[in-house]
Amino acid sequence: MGLKYIRVGVLLWILGVLGVVLNRKNLIIMLMSIELMLLAVSLLFLKISLSLDNIIGQIFTMKILTVAAAESAIGLAIFVAYYRIRGTIAVSSLNLLKG
Amino acid sequence: MYILVLFLPLLSAIVSGLFGRKIGARGACILTSSCIVISWIISCYIFYEIVINSSETYIKLWRWFDSEVLTTYLGLQFDSLTSIMLIVITSISALVHIYSTGYMFGDPHIPRFMSYLSLFTFLMIVLVTSDNYVQLFIGWEGVGLCSYLLINFWLTRIKANQAAMKAMLINRVGDIGLVLAMIKIIEEFGALEFSTIYSILSLTPAGYIDREGITIICLLLFLGAVGKSAQLGLHSWLPDAMEGPTPVSALIHAATMVTAGVFLIIRSGPFFEGSSLALTTITIVGALTAFFAATVGVVQNDLKKVVAYSTCSQLGYMVMICGLSNYSVSLFHLTNHAFFKALLFLSAGSVIHAVRDEQDMRKMGGLINSLFFTYVMVLIGSLSLMGFPYLTGFYSKDLILELIYEKHYIMFAYWLGGLSALLTAFYSIRLIYLTFIANTNSKQEVFVKAQESPWNVGLPLFLLACGSIFIGYFGKELMLSNTVFPIISPVIKIVPLLLSIFGAFLAFMVYDSFSLKYKYLNIRDLIENTGLRGWILNFYYMVYTFFNSAWQFNYIINNFIVLNILNFAHVITYRVIDRGLLEIIGPNGISRVLIRLTQNISNFQSGMMFNYVLIMIIFTVLLISGYRYF
Repeated sequence: MGLKYIRVGVLLWILGVLGVVLNRKNLIIMLMSIELMLLAVSLLFLKISLSLDNIIGQIFTMKILTVAAAESAIGLAIFVAYYRIRGTIAVSSLNLLKG
Repeated sequence: MYILVLFLPLLSAIVSGLFGRKIGARGACILTSSCIVISWIISCYIFYEIVINSSETYIKLWRWFDSEVLTTYLGLQFDSLTSIMLIVITSISALVHIYSTGYMFGDPHIPRFMSYLSLFTFLMIVLVTSDNYVQLFIGWEGVGLCSYLLINFWLTRIKANQAAMKAMLINRVGDIGLVLAMIKIIEEFGALEFSTIYSILSLTPAGYIDREGITIICLLLFLGAVGKSAQLGLHSWLPDAMEGPTPVSALIHAATMVTAGVFLIIRSGPFFEGSSLALTTITIVGALTAFFAATVGVVQNDLKKVVAYSTCSQLGYMVMICGLSNYSVSLFHLTNHAFFKALLFLSAGSVIHAVRDEQDMRKMGGLINSLFFTYVMVLIGSLSLMGFPYLTGFYSKDLILELIYEKHYIMFAYWLGGLSALLTAFYSIRLIYLTFIANTNSKQEVFVKAQESPWNVGLPLFLLACGSIFIGYFGKELMLSNTVFPIISPVIKIVPLLLSIFGAFLAFMVYDSFSLKYKYLNIRDLIENTGLRGWILNFYYMVYTFFNSAWQFNYIINNFIVLNILNFAHVITYRVIDRGLLEIIGPNGISRVLIRLTQNISNFQSGMMFNYVLIMIIFTVLLISGYRYF
């Protein structure tokens, strides 16, 4: 029964990763995938906190939610600024810096 | 007193070389000449003490280098061989110094010239007085160096540069032989002093010392002698060394440098006694050299080159007789040869000086009236060289041929030597005839103004002529006292003399009557009539060119050895190894590989966000999953 939640969490996280990696078009989807990853991690924290009977996982979840909110706020602000300059927020346009 | 004989030439070389500007040309001439003359007087005294009073002298100077296995002192050894060589070197050198003051008069670099001459003398004295092989090697290399400096004295001439480099490099080939011989001697004997080595050699007549080792040592020593004494194979520097001033040729070819090789063989005599193979090799090479140089000398047109090839030929005699263990005869011929060859060279210089530096015999002729003194000098020298009875050459040269006749197993050396005697007479008379007797071919203004040189050129000639007449007679008791004269029939004894006289008459016939009177009548008609004109002329040109270009030795050496080595040096060592292999393994290849690698790595940073994320995730996964293994 316990592993079911963990599988879901890991699957969600992998979905988030694939969303970042495979997504070539939209920057918003990338941000959303990152949010998904954070949520998946939060779910895993909660599940593990429950399993171990330990409160620290829940505390971490709270903090992650805070961080995720702040991060998405800053990310959206960056996108807005970027859109103002470039007129597009396609992911493939972010290629000005090369090695 | 004994050290002074070394010290005085060194002093004059240093003073004349470093302070030539202070003392001036005249001062340098007087200083160096007087130093060498004093050195000659001292060496006469040494000769008196060593040979007449038979008290050999050994002087240890100081320890030179000292290791556990080998200790070498700088030391001097004065025995009869050294003292005779000293007499030869210092007397010829003193006369050459005096001669140079007249011959080089007006040259802008006289102090340098005199300094080189004195340095040459000094190093030659070091060579003959040393009591070990290492110190001998100092002199050996030193005379090579001085020959380079002296041949290259007129350093603006490209021919002189080339000749000097050739002399230096070909001598190096022989020097390698000497160095290897020294290494082998250290391996076998553990010492380099002559006294130590020879006492070991005499104490253990058989068995103890490796015979093959001695043969190797002998052959390597002989390689050194071949280079220095211009034996067949490494002889080609000698005729080219004529690019230097004439006194230099006299010094190099008469007394000092070329005799060093013969000296080495005489000095290393106890070694050579241990190896019959080496002795046979020496005889064969010497005989071939004598014959080869004589044939080449016959067709040379350069006055000095004729004399140079005759030097080569006479050195062949000396080496040849060393191969029969008659070292004292070799030394005797060396002494005699020094006098008459110096006389020939210096007289040739006098002739060249008189006809405004023209060296080609074909452009001379008829100088007997204007240069009678020089003519007499050349005549004495040439007769002595031919082994004319009662002159110096007779006592040594004919003795060499007689001694060789006894040895049946190398009979051909006798006939080669005899033929060389014939050819020697031929080219000597040819030289005299073309230069002095034949109708003149020179320009009128040169011919009319030809006159004798000043006294300081004439005096050495006169003294050397006295030497060429009397040295053989006076020296034969001293030097040949331990020679066993062969008992052979008078017919054989007279053969070399007859051959010489026949050669002389042949030359006279060819150049006097034959060429002038019958050349245009009979021979040409005969050739035309037989219808073989082209064939005969081709054959004649072929033979003449073959001999004139010294058996094509230069061509063979240049094309088959030097050119191949140069090609090898360029293609293999330079292009394949230096610029190829080493650069690819070394700096160039590594930098090219690194640049390509870093470019490939930096291509990972494509600028695409999703690639970055992928890479980050992959490596994070790797890090976490492999955490326990690191």
